[in-house]
Amino acid sequence: MIGQLIANGIVYGCIIALGAIGLSLAYRIMNFANFAHGDFLTLGAYLTLFFAATLNLGFPAACILAIPVTAAFAVALDIGIWKPMRSIGASRTAIMILSIGVSIAIRNALIIFFRPDALRFPLPVMESMNLGGILLTSFQISVVLIALASMLVVHALLSRTVLGKSMRALADNPDLARITGINVDRVIRYTWMVSMGLAALAGIMFGLITHINPNMGWSIILPMFAAAILGGIGNAYGAMAGGLIIGLAQEISTAILPAEYKIAVSFAIMIAVLFFRPNGLLGGG
Amino acid sequence: MLDYLISIMLTAGIYAIFALGLNLQWGYSGLLNFGHVAFMAIGAYATVLLGMNGVPLIFAVLAGMVLAGACGAFLGVATLRLREDYLAIVTIGFSEIIRFLLLNWSSLTRGSFGLYGYPRPLEGLVAHEDYNIVLAGIVIIVLLLVYALLEVLAKSPWGRVLKSVRDDEAVSISLGKNAFSYKVQALALGSAIAALSGSLLAFYLQYINPNNFQPIETFYAWIMVIMGGSGSNRGTIVGAILLWGFFSTTRFLEGYISFSPSASSAARMVIIGVILIGLMMFRPQGLFGRKEDLAVGK
Repeated sequence: MIGQLIANGIVYGCIIALGAIGLSLAYRIMNFANFAHGDFLTLGAYLTLFFAATLNLGFPAACILAIPVTAAFAVALDIGIWKPMRSIGASRTAIMILSIGVSIAIRNALIIFFRPDALRFPLPVMESMNLGGILLTSFQISVVLIALASMLVVHALLSRTVLGKSMRALADNPDLARITGINVDRVIRYTWMVSMGLAALAGIMFGLITHINPNMGWSIILPMFAAAILGGIGNAYGAMAGGLIIGLAQEISTAILPAEYKIAVSFAIMIAVLFFRPNGLLGGG
Repeated sequence: MLDYLISIMLTAGIYAIFALGLNLQWGYSGLLNFGHVAFMAIGAYATVLLGMNGVPLIFAVLAGMVLAGACGAFLGVATLRLREDYLAIVTIGFSEIIRFLLLNWSSLTRGSFGLYGYPRPLEGLVAHEDYNIVLAGIVIIVLLLVYALLEVLAKSPWGRVLKSVRDDEAVSISLGKNAFSYKVQALALGSAIAALSGSLLAFYLQYINPNNFQPIETFYAWIMVIMGGSGSNRGTIVGAILLWGFFSTTRFLEGYISFSPSASSAARMVIIGVILIGLMMFRPQGLFGRKEDLAVGK
């Protein structure tokens, strides 16, 4: 019983972690909490559905296409909205309010194009496999494997590449980064691409193990923020750990609490972290 | 036609009170409350549940305000020592948690079935078909009282400290003001005002369920405050009227467009999102606001 909950928690935690990494990266580089992040998960899932079901591309090809298209949309948004806001020197609070507007617009545009009903990817229903008493579908196992692989890629990107170095430089001191010749707008756009690409991937995986609806991303914005804060907001590794902890805590809580309240568990963890360790378990921020 | 006008007056008036609470928090104090609707829900449910159990309505309304104020203060204490983002994140989470709680605590709230048949003020004294006129009168009086209170507060030493905290926290702290405590007070009072609007909403609707309190309601209030000009109470009321004008006009236009109901309400929401984006990009001080009253501008 508890083994099953832990397994479910790891699957769900991987999705939260991928979402939270993107949220945390964007927070560190752009310096604001992006409330539209959840809706990019939704966008990624719907684009995949569109490519797979309407254009008949096959599910893997649809995923591979949906991720860069979501990232491209994020870049377009940077050119159209975030960059002009940076240029006029808008405050963080103004940008956060604006991100709410973006979130409302994306979510409802998806409702217009795809109707508000819950949908599924055009994939066969998977039988659960019994792994020593724990039931898992091959979807759930692939979610964990893909998430772990993506985390390794993010780690390599941040620690081994020039882009990763520029991102850290920009986060630590924007002015210094600028005068050392870092093209700030370019680094910011790459950050959006990484952040929103991860969001799209998280959205696809969330749709794979549950279903797709226009509210799906918004509905897990709270656990994603809780994970980011738990790990120290701005810290990508903290977000990974935070995501897994939140996922496990939410699922294991169902052993003692009604399942409807599991989202409240992540809220309680977030409040506790803010009271006792506001920089998160791994610091950062 | 008169019924229609009165129903617009009621909704615009109730939402104006709701938005005035937010204006105290955001316009006066620069606090990012993204979960304002939670306090409206607390007010509505507390009033209805206490009223159904025989508590005199005036005390039921006050109890809702105190409860909402206490919740606001608690969230403020948790987050206001940290960067401003945290209050936004925590309040938006809180509003979802409250809605989940109302949906799932069925023994108390009857969950998604909602509550109805609860007592309303002066109900025995007026004929049923005239009730909304009386309620509209009550809403207008409450609106004027809240407006007057906020205007007095804005000009009082308390309001001046609040605005100085918003404009430059370091300066007000160096003058010996406890900025943190002022912000917590503003958050609590604004939340209590939201609860008051929630009680009035419950009286008007005669039926409440958790879906009345979706996160989007919070951002209606944000648009009213920003459109009218953050920091201006009069602007907030104008913002409420404008937004309700927008809703009525688009509902009227719906008759001529062959959209499904879900698509046309979604299209309206897309416009709401775009209005918010446009305001923040091109006119953050709103239609009537002053640039210097803007926590955003700096």
